[in-house]
Amino acid sequence: MATPTNLLRLCLRPGRRLPSLGAVPARQAQQRLLRRPLSTTPPCRRDDDAAGAAEKDKEKDEDEDEYDRFYSNPGLFLRDLLRDETISDHERRLATQMLEDWNKVPPNVAKGIDSLTKEINELGAPMRRPVQARQKSFWNEEEDDPDLITDEVGEDDFEEDDMMAVAHAKLEEHREFREYARVAVWEMPLLSKLAKPFQPPAEDQVLRFRYTTYMGEFHPADRKVVVEFCPEDLPGLTEAQVLKLKKLAGPRYNPEKGIIKMSSDRFEHQAQNKRYLGDLVNKMIAAAKDPADMFEDVPLDTRHHAFKKPIKFPKEWYMTEERRQQLLEQRKQALLLDEAKRNSEDGLVDGRAAIEQALLNAPKVEQMVPVGGRLRISRRV
Amino acid sequence: MSAPNCLRCLVRPSAALRLSAPPPASALKPATPPLTAAASRRAPFSTTPAAAAAPKSSSQGQQAAAKGHVRKGKRLTLKGKKKQKSLDHGKSPLPGERKAYRKRITLSNDNAIKVPWLTDLAAPDLADPANVGKVLALPPTTQDQLRASEAFKPTQTWGMFRQPAVLVRKETVDLTQRMQEAAAARKVLRMVVTGNKVTGKSLMLLQAMTHAFLNEWVVIHLPEAQELTTAVTEYAPLADTSPVQYSQPVYALKLLHAIRKANADVLAKTFTVSEHSELPQSLPAGSPLLAIANQAKEVDSAWVIFQALWNELMAPAPNRPPILLSLDGLAHVMRVSDYRSPAFEPIHAFDLALVRLFTDALGGAVKFPAGGAVLGATSRNNSPRSPSMELALAQREAEQQQQQQPGVEVPQKDPFFRGYDERVDAVLRSVQVLRLGGVDRREARALLEYWAASGMLRTVVDEKAVAEKWTLAGGGVLGEMERASLLTMRV
Repeated sequence: MATPTNLLRLCLRPGRRLPSLGAVPARQAQQRLLRRPLSTTPPCRRDDDAAGAAEKDKEKDEDEDEYDRFYSNPGLFLRDLLRDETISDHERRLATQMLEDWNKVPPNVAKGIDSLTKEINELGAPMRRPVQARQKSFWNEEEDDPDLITDEVGEDDFEEDDMMAVAHAKLEEHREFREYARVAVWEMPLLSKLAKPFQPPAEDQVLRFRYTTYMGEFHPADRKVVVEFCPEDLPGLTEAQVLKLKKLAGPRYNPEKGIIKMSSDRFEHQAQNKRYLGDLVNKMIAAAKDPADMFEDVPLDTRHHAFKKPIKFPKEWYMTEERRQQLLEQRKQALLLDEAKRNSEDGLVDGRAAIEQALLNAPKVEQMVPVGGRLRISRRV
Repeated sequence: MSAPNCLRCLVRPSAALRLSAPPPASALKPATPPLTAAASRRAPFSTTPAAAAAPKSSSQGQQAAAKGHVRKGKRLTLKGKKKQKSLDHGKSPLPGERKAYRKRITLSNDNAIKVPWLTDLAAPDLADPANVGKVLALPPTTQDQLRASEAFKPTQTWGMFRQPAVLVRKETVDLTQRMQEAAAARKVLRMVVTGNKVTGKSLMLLQAMTHAFLNEWVVIHLPEAQELTTAVTEYAPLADTSPVQYSQPVYALKLLHAIRKANADVLAKTFTVSEHSELPQSLPAGSPLLAIANQAKEVDSAWVIFQALWNELMAPAPNRPPILLSLDGLAHVMRVSDYRSPAFEPIHAFDLALVRLFTDALGGAVKFPAGGAVLGATSRNNSPRSPSMELALAQREAEQQQQQQPGVEVPQKDPFFRGYDERVDAVLRSVQVLRLGGVDRREARALLEYWAASGMLRTVVDEKAVAEKWTLAGGGVLGEMERASLLTMRV
């Protein structure tokens, strides 16, 4: 029982303050205070324990007693513990045994431990003290940056005994990568065991809901629910009623797909929104079935929808073997036609030849240049 | 060396100003000889060394530059404007002369080669299916008649050939045959010719008119519908009409002149059935219709005379000629016109008496005594959008197609669109639609041969050339074929 580790634990325990902070570093403790800079109420420590309120009140005093008391050595603590009536028999037996062990410790060692705990307590005092935000600081310049990977305290001092803080941080980062890599390799494949085969919706499952999740994080959009349904699929509706339903849906009806799509995020919870949508669909169906006014004079409005006209290559233009043959045949016929015309009396009509022929046949005009100028007979056509 | 100057130029527009200012005394003797201000200013981005051009050393120039950002031609002068030098460009054209030159119609070209095989059109030729794919010439009298009716347009290429000639298309024969059938049955063929641009819609009207002239019909042609509805001609309300209709007397006079000139022979052979005392010179019954048309001398009486002539043509009597009533640019009359009533409300085109006369006939409200045809052609140039007309034509076309293949869907009105016009719908409810597209290869070949024989196309016309031009023209669109082969020669 009196192992050195146990002993050290017992020795250090009285020096511990703020046990509810646990492993949380001092900086986070300070942040608690900083988190509500605009609050007018005095900051108080939140109780993380999920115990009842009455129990909390009772424990509070004791806790504070415990935290305020300072034990310089384990003996004092054990004695104090034994005075407490709430501890169990087993604990009492343990404590008594340990106290006996402690009494066997030589006095010089006990004194050493005494002074060591005192020293640790004094040294750790500034870390435990909550740091208030400075009132007059400009943009909180003096505040340290929680986004950094190291705490920047004595960061640049090289003590020749260890890596620098940045290197440690880097190493930590690397460990994190590797951890996720291990997860990806060893654990992710196991997820496939949870996969369920896709079941197409049955005929009576007309409504199709869509939900959004941010994987447990809070998000203002995660309450939104979307429902889609095809009015033709609704059972028990006549054609006129279906048409009225489409008209009622207004711009929520997509005439290209024939689907009504509605969404709701007006309530705080997904379930509420889903219930609202379900009720709404029921209401719409009831309204569509109501024969009082079937909206026969109102045409179905599709102005909200831009129809996409699929651009299609004309079917006649596709080059098939048949079409190729047809084209070949046409070309052949054309060549034959040309050949026949070329061999006929008139021959092919040739624009150039026609012009040359016309020039040859044109009457020659002699033009006289007036006397005095150079006399020249020009041939004109 | 020039880098700092470049940057300065980039940063400040007035860098030149600072450079041109006299340098401070300390900067007078720099270590390196600086570029002259003018040189560095002139080519701030140049990488070549500055040429040794003499700097502008005149103090005047420097002062002007120092004044600020002065651009040439923007200087403010206070001493009165400089007199502009009047360059002598010769005599400027008189008012209207330019337009007349632009709109002139040339129907022959003496330099073009005469095509040996070209024959004149005879009366039955245009309705003869054997003539499909032939180019036939317009006889001189018909040319005059067509010219009087303004059937030729300045954009057409008549001026490139020795004699105006037309290609007989399948659609031509189809149309003229239907005209003949209608006249034989004393019915009215009501048809709208439509199609993409430069597919020959106006030319189809011209061919119909040619057929009518050759077969002694009376032809009344409204060559440009936009002249009637774009408020470019005078208008006056007609008495005793409710709702008020408006006559266009100046246009009516012009139209009467055209009718008289184009149809003089037929009108001389047709006689009035009733007495006309409302005319400037009253006419007894039994006088020729030409006498009515001849009275059209003044704007004031033009509308009365036109009405008298129209009533006589409509009078149910034997020996009346069939009538062709045609209009080009249909979309212009199928809308609210640009005219305003005295209360400054827009006047619908159908309230213009002349337009109403046409639309009534097109809608089937008028019966011609000897039958005839009412033709309208759409235009793709400067034509307003008329959603009703577009829809109605698409519907009629789909209905026609339905008779051949029952699966065709008839387009329906958009129930939420406001731009439809019920009056237009009523008129176009039962018209026939003739859609024009490209010509086929055989017709294209005939046309190319005619062009080549006229010396206007300098190639051998074989199937290869035909296929090339036909394809270039988007599948035988006539206007595009002209553009691809004829108009490349235009100088």
